[in-house]
Amino acid sequence: MERLDALREKLQTINRWVAGVGACFLIPLMLITAADVVGRDVFNHPIPGVIELSQYLLAVSILLGLAYTQQIKGHVGVSILVSRLSARAQLMVSLFGSLLGLFLFILLAWQGLVVGLEKKTVSDMLRVPQYPFRLLVAVAAFLTFLELLIDLGSSIQKLGRTES
Amino acid sequence: MDPVTVGVVGSLLLFVLLLLGIPIAFSLMLVGFLGTACLASIDAALPMMARTVYESASHYPYTIIPLFIVMGTYAEISGISRDLYETFDKWLRRFPGGLGMATIASIAGFSAISGSSVASSAAFGKVAYPEMRRFNYSRRLAAGTVAAGATIDFLIPPSLGFVIFGMLTEQSIGKLLVAGVIPGLILAAAFMVILYVWVKFNPDSALSSPKEVSWKVKVAALRGIWETLVIFLLVVGGIYTGVLTPTEAAGVGATLLFIITAAKRKLTTKTLLASLYESIRISVMVLFLVAGANVFSYFLALSTIPMKMSMWIGGLPVSKYVILAIIVFIYLVLGCFLDAISMMILTLPVIFPVVVKLGFDSIWFGVICVLMMGAGLITPPMGLCVFTVAGIAEDASLEEVFQGALPFVTAILFVAFLITVFPQLALVLPGMMGR
Repeated sequence: MERLDALREKLQTINRWVAGVGACFLIPLMLITAADVVGRDVFNHPIPGVIELSQYLLAVSILLGLAYTQQIKGHVGVSILVSRLSARAQLMVSLFGSLLGLFLFILLAWQGLVVGLEKKTVSDMLRVPQYPFRLLVAVAAFLTFLELLIDLGSSIQKLGRTES
Repeated sequence: MDPVTVGVVGSLLLFVLLLLGIPIAFSLMLVGFLGTACLASIDAALPMMARTVYESASHYPYTIIPLFIVMGTYAEISGISRDLYETFDKWLRRFPGGLGMATIASIAGFSAISGSSVASSAAFGKVAYPEMRRFNYSRRLAAGTVAAGATIDFLIPPSLGFVIFGMLTEQSIGKLLVAGVIPGLILAAAFMVILYVWVKFNPDSALSSPKEVSWKVKVAALRGIWETLVIFLLVVGGIYTGVLTPTEAAGVGATLLFIITAAKRKLTTKTLLASLYESIRISVMVLFLVAGANVFSYFLALSTIPMKMSMWIGGLPVSKYVILAIIVFIYLVLGCFLDAISMMILTLPVIFPVVVKLGFDSIWFGVICVLMMGAGLITPPMGLCVFTVAGIAEDASLEEVFQGALPFVTAILFVAFLITVFPQLALVLPGMMGR
């Protein structure tokens, strides 16, 4: 059990770091948007390809933050009914929820890989290939899958405890 | 199978999943996927999901969301909220409930540089609440004012509410943002009237006021608002004149606030990282909701329900204002249980076509929606602004904050009524826009 807890903590730390790296991409996103405006309106020299750069930067920060958002339960849900159930029923429901989530994210990880690998598109101006960013969908979904596994594990653990 | 039947079954399944507390984004995506697999084919549904996730996460107009959020968090760190409060306090302190009015006015000012109501409820929970308590304002009044006042942030641009509405309905985000200015100011005024009435009828709730200050001090205090004014003029002025797109304006605003915050030496690695994490958390939440909603809408469109629904409601032999009143009522109820953004995401795919079919203006309806989203932020049992204020104001209980915020909901409904009677209030500014 202890080895499992250590593994879980390591995984959560990794996902926090991954999200932190993604979050840092927001600063260049902010700066190039402003720099493009200043360049265009003041010096008459816009930054070439600023839109596609912004798109890639946004994709990186959002996708890398996906698993972390799951970790801190940042995806909103309706708790009005569930919060009235018994502790045991709540655990059953969250177990069911984790299973559904696992199903969804394994599909996403698989399809992210399939779609990512077949994309040969490059961006319009800077000719940056799209597939590395598309593949991030698979990475993000897989990391979220692992977070959901942790949730599932802890629900099962707690259920076992309430039974004994 | 009949597409409508599949659509109804899918919607019921979605409802069950939501009640079970499954995250809204996951429920939408799952049902949308299953429904599309049913109505089209599994081979179409599988890659559609992965594509939608990537496209939602990399859609250029959506960069405005993290940018607006970092604007709010930088504005909060920078201490501009305190400057604003100190300025308005000097001008409004002698009125009945004057500190509350100062709170409303400074939140309205802060709204001009912040895009999220939660940021302003947090900022003013820290700045204005202790000040009102110091002068013996009741906990209910003080906390309620801050929580309700924060809903102004949803109307006055930059505003996340309008961005979400624009994204879901493909309306011009720039026009929507500009449309919120006048209703936002009216809402602030209506809140002040409520405060005035409250304190007139319950003098016990605001026992004392600070001493009057001289005109010289008042004029000198105006210095506290210049940063806000400059940023507002650049950001909203840029959108209004058409020089900047909303996304560019958000980038410029965020960079300016970033520089101001750094210049004030308030930007440490710790606060910066915290604001980036915060921004990522909200942006991912929103964009994944949008991705889920897009998958679900794909399915909904295949089921033909939105089209049939709007045909049916459009053909009903009642006044369109009755239907509008019903929609507002539905939003008031939904706002009690859902957070503002999820509420829009779940309802707009069906309600928006109905509203357009009835002949209402879509920008105008955006303002109504954002007003109702604001109401949802303070109505029990789920009210994000109330939770935030209750978390910061340690001596006030959650119930007290909810009770304190409730009278202000009447002001929100009044403004909704007012702009229904006089739609020009919302439409005159976007009508004169540069682009």
